[in-house]
Amino acid sequence: MEERKLMGKRLLATLALTTAGFAATAAMAEDTVVKVMHQGDPGWVEMYGKVAERFEAANPGVDIELVYAPHDAYNEKFSAAVMSKDLPDVFEMDAPFLANYVWSGYLAPIKPLIDPAVLEDMTASNIAQGTYPIDNELYGIGLTDSSVVLYGNRKYLEAIGARIPTSVDDAWTRAEFEDVLEKLSKVEGVKWPIDTFRGYGIKTEWITYAYEPILASFGCDLIDRTTWTSEGALDSQPCVDALTMMQDWAKKDWIVPMSAGTNQFFADGNPAALAWGGHWVYSQAAAAMGDNVVVLPLPKFGEKSASPNGTWIWGVSTASKHPDVAGKFISFLLQDADYRAYAVSQSAFPGLKSFAAQSPLYAEGGPMAIAFEQASKSAVARPPHPAYPTITSAFMQAFDVIINGGDAKTELTKAAQKIDEDIADNDGYPPFNGQ
Amino acid sequence: MSDMALSTPRPAPKRRSHGSKRTLRIVQVVCVLIIALVMISPLFMLLVASLKDDRFQILADMGSFKAFWVSDPTLNNFVEVGGMSGDLAFGRYLMNSLIILFVTVSSGLVINSMAGFVLAWGRVPGKVVILALVIALYVIPQESIIMPLLIMVSRAGMTDTFTAQILPWVASPLYIFLFYQFFAQLPKELYEAAEMDGASPFRIYRSIFMPLSLPAMATTSILMGIESWNQYLWPVLVTQTAYARPIAVAIGTFFGQDSIFWDRAMAASVLMMLPILAFYIVFQRWFVSSFIGTAVKG
Repeated sequence: MEERKLMGKRLLATLALTTAGFAATAAMAEDTVVKVMHQGDPGWVEMYGKVAERFEAANPGVDIELVYAPHDAYNEKFSAAVMSKDLPDVFEMDAPFLANYVWSGYLAPIKPLIDPAVLEDMTASNIAQGTYPIDNELYGIGLTDSSVVLYGNRKYLEAIGARIPTSVDDAWTRAEFEDVLEKLSKVEGVKWPIDTFRGYGIKTEWITYAYEPILASFGCDLIDRTTWTSEGALDSQPCVDALTMMQDWAKKDWIVPMSAGTNQFFADGNPAALAWGGHWVYSQAAAAMGDNVVVLPLPKFGEKSASPNGTWIWGVSTASKHPDVAGKFISFLLQDADYRAYAVSQSAFPGLKSFAAQSPLYAEGGPMAIAFEQASKSAVARPPHPAYPTITSAFMQAFDVIINGGDAKTELTKAAQKIDEDIADNDGYPPFNGQ
Repeated sequence: MSDMALSTPRPAPKRRSHGSKRTLRIVQVVCVLIIALVMISPLFMLLVASLKDDRFQILADMGSFKAFWVSDPTLNNFVEVGGMSGDLAFGRYLMNSLIILFVTVSSGLVINSMAGFVLAWGRVPGKVVILALVIALYVIPQESIIMPLLIMVSRAGMTDTFTAQILPWVASPLYIFLFYQFFAQLPKELYEAAEMDGASPFRIYRSIFMPLSLPAMATTSILMGIESWNQYLWPVLVTQTAYARPIAVAIGTFFGQDSIFWDRAMAASVLMMLPILAFYIVFQRWFVSSFIGTAVKG
């Protein structure tokens, strides 16, 4: 009897030990899951998958869960994640939305989480696109940045005897630029003097991104960056003049229409003579046109020239339970050799100094050197304000109406009012209102 | 009746001349051809573009008649799309869409027809009010309930599952009303005779009314099928990984930040279209007659 009792106790003890052992093993085996939300075409998606695998191999016990969102539905997906309290640990964001995300409390300061060597490597423009102006803290970081240049068809430009600017300082003036457009419209083979890539449509950020520098060059802005009000800025006479000028180009059929797509510059027969295009257009254009592509700085419409910057960058959410691992992943990604090689193959614009050294395209003497020169001389960031989603949406709508024949003053006034209403509705987005 | 009246010759019915009848027929045929051309041309353009290998050429051709012609057709795009793996495995996404379609439609047929049957023949207190509510619910657009629904799905821990893409769309006021309307038109005697024979309401539904409702079933399956197959926003919001991602969301991958892969997007769209097209071709006759029978406007 005693023996049976003893046996029972031993069995119980063994069972308890085994259970505890299993529990401990399970706890040890449980991976640290880090969700990474991103967008991108198949090439980038594949690349993120491979980087995640390499990171997991280098960091046993970490599981990187990639959450894909289509580019066109990214904001909807992000809003859904916010509403369902399911923010990923790491997420990609379009840089001008950073201020809104920080103000809303979605983004954590990133500086303590990122490898100091990577932080040291950031270009000034990269730091600017990731910095929140209120506390001057860094909340976002990227391998890349962006710019827009003027691409020209060398043969057409030579045919009209146009001066070819070689640096930002000697960019075409408005008079020169419009004279070139006028002359190009009469050259045989030219269907449209310029492609401003209206084919990207009105749902993407392209309109605000690419055309805001025209406003800046005219001497106005989407919003006054000291008082943070749009009325008096966006509806000011220089902005009205800028948009009226673009409307005039459209009326004269100088611009490729939206229906003609986005490759008229390098399509068969080169129907468009110039292109107001992003840095990413270069690889496609050069592949199709070879040496016939000439890269020019954006024109100077007023006292100074202006160019855009900012692209999709990475941030760590305040909801992350593993911000250290999240930061480690971002650092790993930005230093990954294959990721960088793929970015170079896509003519990505450098946002890290070491990456710039790997990108002969943008180095001095390189075919896109002017784009890199613009980044340091004429880049104007989009307004770093929490109302940016409203600012860009209102401007895009106004632009669309104006380019299709609407009255510039009326539409810009409506847009400015809409922006100011949003700011008023949010009590000026304190502390942006000085409180 | 007088002789006079009897002898008065009846006026001969007016007959259109053979020529005018023929002209009318030609006009009708031309009109039908034009309408058919307008309807078919986007699909034809999609098919043609999917056979072109150069994404930039597809884009350049879009503004002209070249969009409807391919001089050097190739199946490369289909091979590329079919051969994608990992997070871009389109075969898997197609299968996911088929699973979602099949489960949504089959369970939707049962749930909606049962609800329609109960509303038409069941002894439910406040039936009229319930029916009015069902009809009222129909006018609420899906988009307006999407965020509350998302929160519910998320709190229920169903994010990134097939269930999240099926369960919210199984019961629909439109289909409940459609079945209600169909069942309510059937003769009362059918129900009463079965009831007198001792059949339970479920037996009456299963053995008599359900087999009779094939036209309504056909209409519902086709409408539900198309609706489920074309879902985009909802799966974008509730899926996270490749596990339950449907093909419509996966096609979005080809529309990147800086570039659009029209060639592969077109091929993937053709692949996405095939199952629903095959389904339609097979059931074309039934589809048309059921639509006429149930008076559903497309």
